[in-house]
Amino acid sequence: MSNSLSVAQPRKRAPLWLWPLVWGALLLLSVVAMSAAEPLFRWIEPDARQVIYDRADFYVLLGRHLLVVGIAALVTVVVGVSAGIAVTRERGSDFLPLVGQLASLGQTFPPVAVLALAVPVLGFGTLPIIVALMLYGMLPIVRNTLAGLQAVDIDIKTAAHAMGMTPTQTLRYVELPLAAPVILAGIRTSVTINIATAALGATVGASNLGDPIISGIVNGNMAYVVQGALTIALLALTVDSLFELLQRQLRSRLSAP
Amino acid sequence: MIELSHVSKRFGEETAVDDISLRVPKGKFCALVGTSGCGKSTTLRMINRLIEHSEGDIILDGQAIEVYDPVKLRRRIGYVIQHTGLFPHWNVARNIGLVPRLLKWSAADVQGRVEELMDLLGLPVGEFAHKYPHQLSGGQAQRVGVARALAADPDILLMDEPFGALDPITREKLQDELAKLQARLHKTVVFVTHDMDEALKLADHLVVMREGRIVQQGSPLALLQQPADSFVESLLGGLERGLKQAALTRVKDHMTSMGPTLPAQSRIPADFSLRQALSMMLRDHSDRLTVVDQHDVPIGELSLRRIIKEAQLDKGSARE
Amino acid sequence: MSLLDALSTPRLRWDGRHPNTVLVSLSLIMLAAFWSLDVVSMAPNRIVQGTSYGALEALGWPGALLATLLLSFIGILAWQPSPRHYRALLAAVMTLMALMPVGLIASSYLLIDPELPQARLGLGAAYWVVLFVLLLCLIEIRLRLKLTRLWPTLLLCGVALVWWLCATLWLDSLALVQEFKARDRQFLRAIGQHVTLVGAAVSISVVVGLVLAMLMRRYARLQKSAFAVLNFLQTIPSLALFGLLLAPLAWLAANVPLLGQLGVSGIGTTPALIALIAYSLLPMVRNTYIALEEVSPDTLEAAKGMGMRAGQRFWQVRLPLALPVLLEGVRITTVQAIGLTAVAALIGAGGLGTFIFQGLGQAAMDMVLLGALPILMLALVVDAGLGALAEALRPGGTR
Ligand SMILES: Nc1ncnc2c1ncn2[C@@H]1O[C@H](COP(=O)(O)OP(=O)(O)OP(=O)(O)O)[C@@H](O)[C@H]1O
Ligand SMILES: [Mg+2]
Repeated sequence: MSNSLSVAQPRKRAPLWLWPLVWGALLLLSVVAMSAAEPLFRWIEPDARQVIYDRADFYVLLGRHLLVVGIAALVTVVVGVSAGIAVTRERGSDFLPLVGQLASLGQTFPPVAVLALAVPVLGFGTLPIIVALMLYGMLPIVRNTLAGLQAVDIDIKTAAHAMGMTPTQTLRYVELPLAAPVILAGIRTSVTINIATAALGATVGASNLGDPIISGIVNGNMAYVVQGALTIALLALTVDSLFELLQRQLRSRLSAP
Repeated sequence: MIELSHVSKRFGEETAVDDISLRVPKGKFCALVGTSGCGKSTTLRMINRLIEHSEGDIILDGQAIEVYDPVKLRRRIGYVIQHTGLFPHWNVARNIGLVPRLLKWSAADVQGRVEELMDLLGLPVGEFAHKYPHQLSGGQAQRVGVARALAADPDILLMDEPFGALDPITREKLQDELAKLQARLHKTVVFVTHDMDEALKLADHLVVMREGRIVQQGSPLALLQQPADSFVESLLGGLERGLKQAALTRVKDHMTSMGPTLPAQSRIPADFSLRQALSMMLRDHSDRLTVVDQHDVPIGELSLRRIIKEAQLDKGSARE
Repeated sequence: MSLLDALSTPRLRWDGRHPNTVLVSLSLIMLAAFWSLDVVSMAPNRIVQGTSYGALEALGWPGALLATLLLSFIGILAWQPSPRHYRALLAAVMTLMALMPVGLIASSYLLIDPELPQARLGLGAAYWVVLFVLLLCLIEIRLRLKLTRLWPTLLLCGVALVWWLCATLWLDSLALVQEFKARDRQFLRAIGQHVTLVGAAVSISVVVGLVLAMLMRRYARLQKSAFAVLNFLQTIPSLALFGLLLAPLAWLAANVPLLGQLGVSGIGTTPALIALIAYSLLPMVRNTYIALEEVSPDTLEAAKGMGMRAGQRFWQVRLPLALPVLLEGVRITTVQAIGLTAVAALIGAGGLGTFIFQGLGQAAMDMVLLGALPILMLALVVDAGLGALAEALRPGGTR
């Protein structure tokens, strides 16, 4: 395996792990040493009493942000991929058209509206934003799972069948590995969108990196907004570049044509 | 042994296979021939239960096919699929070793078997074991497909147009290799093709299908000599039928002992076909050839007149 | 989304032997929800938490029985599907939807004490679930009957009209209606603002998107950097982008008098519009670019061969062929903008988001609904409408 990997590896100018490392380092720097940049923020907001958001530590906010996005992503991936798998099986094929349509409908629901509708049921706090993120992030995952699984060549599935693989083996060793790059791309889209969307949670009392932004808007303090936005953008870039790394690895492993 | 009796398959309203009966004795090579969409693949797939038949009985080694567990059955039957169907995410070695691995052979056994098969099919292990299907040429991919089907040493081999998408030269080469392989391994083979020459060359038993029915079956020679109707005749090449028949006959079966040898007479090896002999006579404007053995030593003689006479004799004997 | 449309349509079975498991399960879900969840809630006034009522109390025996019958009817019809049964199913679903406000009228009659003028009726979980699942049924039936999106949309408009009539004439006690009556002017203005903002942002980004996409086709280098910038913009949370625009615009308005006179200011519409356009550009440009690129070179070659000039080729061949994908971009952009505009309420841009955030602030959930429901409906209507338009404009007709 290692042998074939080195053959198939595409030659790149920068090593693959460079970008996640750079973005990750910047993110870390921004959450532990935001106060070091005080002169800069002072320049943005010369008149404010305070220019560094200090109601909570940034690493705590980052942790909560990650937790919300992570839980939502976990649930979406598990539910979305299983739904995609279920409706492409013989037994679940009745549900295929509906699930396909539903997935595309999911993103029609604006996250703010879902958030607002979730609050009466779930109360204020972290839960409504997780639900909103789940709904909003479901589409790319279900859509890509369906597309990926349906793109697996019928001949290859027949071959798997004919060699005596059970349906479970076919799914696990043939269909899923072949669909993996497409599914992973869906997860990537979903998670990156949700990292930005999670900031909305701050409006319903879920404390996360959206807090400084809301607080900045309410108090008219640009510096806070910049701090929140910067950290979220860095988080998004880190995660996105990690996915890029993962995708490349997968692609070279599969060395699909 | 494979036995189909009065087997039919319907997809909804459409009847894809209509009341066919067929017997392939152990170790024999049976070819299904027919135009596109006549139900060849469907017939094949019913044998390994990729498709369940609607009517009739399919019997494998004395047991009705329904008795077997489909998954285990398929692991016991080699299958070469129409467009190779190699797994694109696995390298050649992994592709070939699939069924042994499914059967839970030990890793060492699997590896040994893979190397043995790659040798057998002329795929150097060092060069190919770690290549991926998209890095193979069409001919190499087909070899891997055949190797994969042979991996667990099945008694029965089903092949669905294995050489369909290849250029004529590669195709012929693989056909020759398959013939050699079969002479060694003696598998029970059902082979689907729409190329009549391929079928004539490889098969012990030839089955011609049309619109889901069997039009005629028998030995290649029997079909050539006595096509059941104009459809079979046209499949067999119409007026070229005589030549095709000649292609199936070896020179050594028709040679006579040495007569007075003309010095300029052309020489032909004894295991060439009559068709090649005829071609040589046409080329050299002669009606006699000297037959030689593999050391180029003359062992007999072949005359045009004799070929024509004997062809008539064959016809008589094939009638029964 | 275009990917989804490209999925092969599954084989439909008309043989009648195979039950439509989707509709059967949906029918069972609705029955379960109807009988186990609360149908309505009643509160004596706006502040007090309401008490919940189940199906029997809310609708009485006859109402509950009728609803149960209609819901089971869906499952029974779906057991042996045929085109005729699907049409009957469509009728049943529509009837149920149109009867839902009537049910509310019945419960207000049954539950509300006339002595309490402040009393208000809230929709319970069962109502929402049944409504949502009915929409799913509608989608499923539309797919099975192979209807275009236009028909269900029109039918739903009819249902909405029934709802509207019932609400204005007989449903004074419904909490939503009361919230609306308390601030109907404000509501209409908010809708106006919302639609205007979305319309302005989308139309500007359509034009800019078209120009950018065409420039990208000409200058390959621009394409990479432009997509990189637009992609980066999407990683900034909408909340933050709105916030970030406040300060520079305030500064501009203060220091450039002309801009101040033009109405540019730090808070309100201007930053909202700019941020909306920034977000709309990526989906717009991406789809426009893909749409124009995807037109088959053979067709264009043929057009050239026929002697069409470059301008003619663009306007008569490339653009019409690209139109459906382009409209798809407009659809995605508009739906996204409708949601984002709600966030813009936070920086004083008005719109329906105002109700959401005010309601959240006062913990007045009916007010939140007053903002969230129209946003949702707006998004769904735009989605369905533009989707239907794109479908109709697909070259070679709908089918
Ligand atoms: N799964 C299926 N469902 C419905 N009809 C089928 C199915 N498989 C095959 N058929 C039909 O059965 C008939 C026979 O098909 P089959 O694949 O056996 O043909 P074939 O002889 O192998 O043709 P080819 O040479 O093109 O491979 C065709 O008319 C085909 O349309
Ligand atoms: Mg076939």
